Amino acid sequence: MDFKDYYAVLGVSESATPEEVKKAYRKLARKYHPDVSKEDNASDKFKDVGEAYEVLKDPEKRAEYDQLRKYGTREDGSFQPPPGWQSASGFGGGGYTEADARQFSDFFEEIFGGGRHAGASSGAGFGGGGFRQNVRMRGEDVHARLALFLEEALNGCEKQVSFTVHDADAHGRLVPRQKTLKVKIPAGMRDGQHIRLKGQGAPGVGGGQPGDLFIEVELAPHPHFTVEGHDVLVTVPIAPWEAALGATVTVPTVGGKVNVKVPRGSTSGRKLRLKGKGFPGKHPGDQIVILQVAMPEQHSHEAEKLYEQLAELEKNFNPRSKLHV
Amino acid sequence: MTDKDQILTVEVIDTNGNTFTLREICERGDCHAEFVIKLVDYGIISPVEDVREVRQWQFDVDALNRLQKAMRLQRDLKLNLPGLAVSLDLLDEVQDMRREVARLNQRLHQLLGE
Repeated sequence: MDFKDYYAVLGVSESATPEEVKKAYRKLARKYHPDVSKEDNASDKFKDVGEAYEVLKDPEKRAEYDQLRKYGTREDGSFQPPPGWQSASGFGGGGYTEADARQFSDFFEEIFGGGRHAGASSGAGFGGGGFRQNVRMRGEDVHARLALFLEEALNGCEKQVSFTVHDADAHGRLVPRQKTLKVKIPAGMRDGQHIRLKGQGAPGVGGGQPGDLFIEVELAPHPHFTVEGHDVLVTVPIAPWEAALGATVTVPTVGGKVNVKVPRGSTSGRKLRLKGKGFPGKHPGDQIVILQVAMPEQHSHEAEKLYEQLAELEKNFNPRSKLHV
Repeated sequence: MTDKDQILTVEVIDTNGNTFTLREICERGDCHAEFVIKLVDYGIISPVEDVREVRQWQFDVDALNRLQKAMRLQRDLKLNLPGLAVSLDLLDEVQDMRREVARLNQRLHQLLGE
């Protein structure tokens, strides 16, 4: 087991006053709160910060911790509490207020003990579905995210979803368990939409109903397509002569290639609508093709000659007239 | 059990799909009805239809998510109700903007042919 340096976690010195500890905690709790922060490991950092504060805010626990910090670490950085160590401040008693102790580390458990017993849930009433004995309770709902490729979201797919549920063992301890389900995702799921799997959340307590699993769908960015509401957008380059004369060009859709007629005299930014090639649903979306005139990187001598002729013929055209120049 | 048996079919939740009553949302959120009523009073969450009779309130899954977020923020950051209202609105706005920025960036890369 590794020693946890709670002072380093909060970024305060050993001699920090309770006020300084509180201030540092508040700042970091705001910074790493999983509902606020977008950092990848915000949730772990938030737990660490909460655990550190739980110890350092309490003078008794802090004194015990300081003592262990002095004597408990070995040279290789690992940690073992001294033989016969027992916390006097304990946990689940008066010192414990709002933190969810079930989330704390093995290190915390080893030192202050008892915190993992779910019965020590918060008295504030918002304990997050804590276990209470002889009570019939509905299992917790579990929320998970699932990233889908655009093709999968549009066409529907089968996916494996893994998540953690907490089961209560015979002693009322909450034991995390990894659960994996194969899920059939229906066609037409959009970014931010939720799906529910009834009864697949945490098991109920005392014969209570199990919770549900909620999955929020996230769309992975696609190299060519973007999504706007129910529509799928794609930018398609065309040659200047295709734009001028009109042409039939092949464009990609999520479902495969299709041929599209580019009208005569098209310009960059012109939008062509492919009906029903967007997201399916009650009001199915379309695919919007946005034309973009592209130039060859090099022109042959003959082509340049032709451009010169063109320039002469079209000399009254001012592409910058909107800029008043 | 074969592989096929284990494949679960899901229920898609649209904003106009499944809803919860006040009792159900309290049960799922593990909170008291008074708290939900206060959140509604402050405009932090709202029932799908604006009816006066509390017993007829129906909430969608977005409201449940917001309720749970509100509870976490209140517990962890000690926010009061006006503070919750402001921060949840701002968090929503930030999320919308992040999505929009990601979408525009993607469009830009596509246009530049990167």
